[in-house]
Amino acid sequence: MKVIKLEKKKLIPFLQFISQERELWAPVKKNDRIIYDLIEDFTCIDMNTTRTLLPPKKVIIPQQFNMFRVTGLGYESDYSHAVKKILFGIHPCDIHGLLILDKLFMQDHPDPYYIEARRNTLILGLSCWPDEHCFARSTNTHIIREGFDLFFTDLEHSYLVWVGSSAGDDLIKLKPEFFEQKPTDQDIQDFTYMQIERDTSYKTKINFISMPDLMELKYNETFWEKMGRACLGCGSCSMVCPTCNCYNVIDRHLISEETGERRRYWDSCTLCEYSEVAEGVNFRKNCADRLRLWYTHKMQAFISKYGKASCVGCGRCLLTCPVDINVLTVSKSLQGKDVYAYWNRLPREASDDKSSK
Amino acid sequence: MSKNKLRIGVYGLTGCAGDQLTILNCEDRLLKLFETVDVRSFLMAKSDNLEEELDIALVEGSVSTRSDEESVINIRQRTGSLVAIGICACFGGIQAVFTEPEEWAKQYEQVYGNRSVSSNAALQSRPVKAFVKVDYYLPGCPIHKEQFLALLSRLALGSTPEFHRAPVCLECKWQENDCLLNKNVLCLGPLTTAGCGAICPTCNLPCVGCWGPFEEANCWSEWNLLLDKDYDRNIIMQKMKSFSGTGFIQFFNTMKKERT
Ligand code: SF4
Ligand code: SF4
Ligand code: SF4
Ligand code: SF4
Repeated sequence: MKVIKLEKKKLIPFLQFISQERELWAPVKKNDRIIYDLIEDFTCIDMNTTRTLLPPKKVIIPQQFNMFRVTGLGYESDYSHAVKKILFGIHPCDIHGLLILDKLFMQDHPDPYYIEARRNTLILGLSCWPDEHCFARSTNTHIIREGFDLFFTDLEHSYLVWVGSSAGDDLIKLKPEFFEQKPTDQDIQDFTYMQIERDTSYKTKINFISMPDLMELKYNETFWEKMGRACLGCGSCSMVCPTCNCYNVIDRHLISEETGERRRYWDSCTLCEYSEVAEGVNFRKNCADRLRLWYTHKMQAFISKYGKASCVGCGRCLLTCPVDINVLTVSKSLQGKDVYAYWNRLPREASDDKSSK
Repeated sequence: MSKNKLRIGVYGLTGCAGDQLTILNCEDRLLKLFETVDVRSFLMAKSDNLEEELDIALVEGSVSTRSDEESVINIRQRTGSLVAIGICACFGGIQAVFTEPEEWAKQYEQVYGNRSVSSNAALQSRPVKAFVKVDYYLPGCPIHKEQFLALLSRLALGSTPEFHRAPVCLECKWQENDCLLNKNVLCLGPLTTAGCGAICPTCNLPCVGCWGPFEEANCWSEWNLLLDKDYDRNIIMQKMKSFSGTGFIQFFNTMKKERT
């Protein structure tokens, strides 16, 4: 893989130049939150953010969109979400997140809405520094060797740029004069030191190796019931997780316009409706069962099928769940450790006790 | 008027008429809609109303008087389906703020004394379902235009209305808001039915629950979470009661038992 060099001050002009015929999506600050957004003002791009509120999956598959429209004449697919885009500023863990979604949406059951958008999106990664909630070192997703067109590693005054695909190379060729073809020995040394320091900066650690077995062995532990009692069933954990992929589809007819449309929305297996089938029968009416499903998927089933966890260590669930149910507290419970968490101190309802007697 | 057009009636019991106004507010689209259905009765929109057989009755407001009760029973008798529209019809709304029957009797006496109220006696406010069978619910305070049009279109085409059954939090995350609960703000999003698009948290205001109780709301966890965040019991109670009508009655009853 070719590695070249770009002076820092040339990054924004480069991004501006290459996004003349594509939308550029990058992290920006909006009312105290960092989100991926369509960039109009290039000076607003947040180069130093740790994580965005929603993961970059939203740039590929929006939170809600129309799949097609029906009129009296037939139906028309709607691929307006899949216009040509550049996704800039995506960190290694989130690129791994997209690679996991690729397995789900591009292999056994190809999803044209995902595939079209994914093919039309160029991935321009950016290096990052962990905060206390990142644990990508534990999931081995803190570095990335595939899945990007360009990857920018921040070396204080310049970027080292990994060229990951021919599409990435074509972008460079649009402005070759911006780049230095060879990093200096000093650059290589700076990069090496930076890597070592970054590697030791992950304060949150989770041992994933034992997780599939522990999930099996502790399937009936009481902590699941405790979490189930506390879970608000809000679905936030799935919305913010870069690897959660479930969706719901609803048909909307509008007689006033004589049209109809099929809308697709992000869904979550923590919602009760998710596992409801005909006649209102529900396989997972109990919230604890739904949480067990969520964590089985992340830490056991996905590992059996694809050899790695469906968690990329981004830390979003740690910051999002209002009742402290997240990969860290769940894995600690699985390891038999004491956990300081709201769900662990929530008292039982008196009526619960009565019904269980 | 054409015989095979869907016969519709829009009615208001005790409420602010906001839901009927929202229907009127569909403007251009309403005109087109009114061409495809046969609006038999809609007092707010027209004067030549026919109180006959209906296919669909859309009923706003809670049952708060004897005449509300009579109307809703009468409407039920002559309609194929009945849709409760707005939070008052669905859950009783603000006027049904959960009070004990004895407490209500006391309040009644304070207001009316011993005088006998001749024509239209006040009742303890209740949602429509407390009196007659309701086929579909369209919550909101007021209802949302798009959801109304989608519901009516579905019914007109002979299928059942469909909603994504989720709490406000789901839409709140779609809107990319930082959770207010995590900032120790008393937000009722997890207990409230989605549909509004999480407009309040998106404006950095907590959800007060105006779309009505979410059917799978975990009141026990939210209640204790707010206590954990040092909120006063009475404040939490007041907030949870304000828009939930009779929706959380069971929770408040178990809470009462637990205290005694
Ligand atoms: S499970 Fe949590 S930490 Fe892991 S990828 Fe999902 S949100 Fe990130
Ligand atoms: S685990 Fe937490 S974030 Fe997920 S649905 Fe339950 S309460 Fe919401
Ligand atoms: S701010 Fe309110 S509505 Fe939004 S996620 Fe938090 S609790 Fe739910
Ligand atoms: S109070 Fe809650 S349900 Fe009502 S509009 Fe605001 S966010 Fe939506």
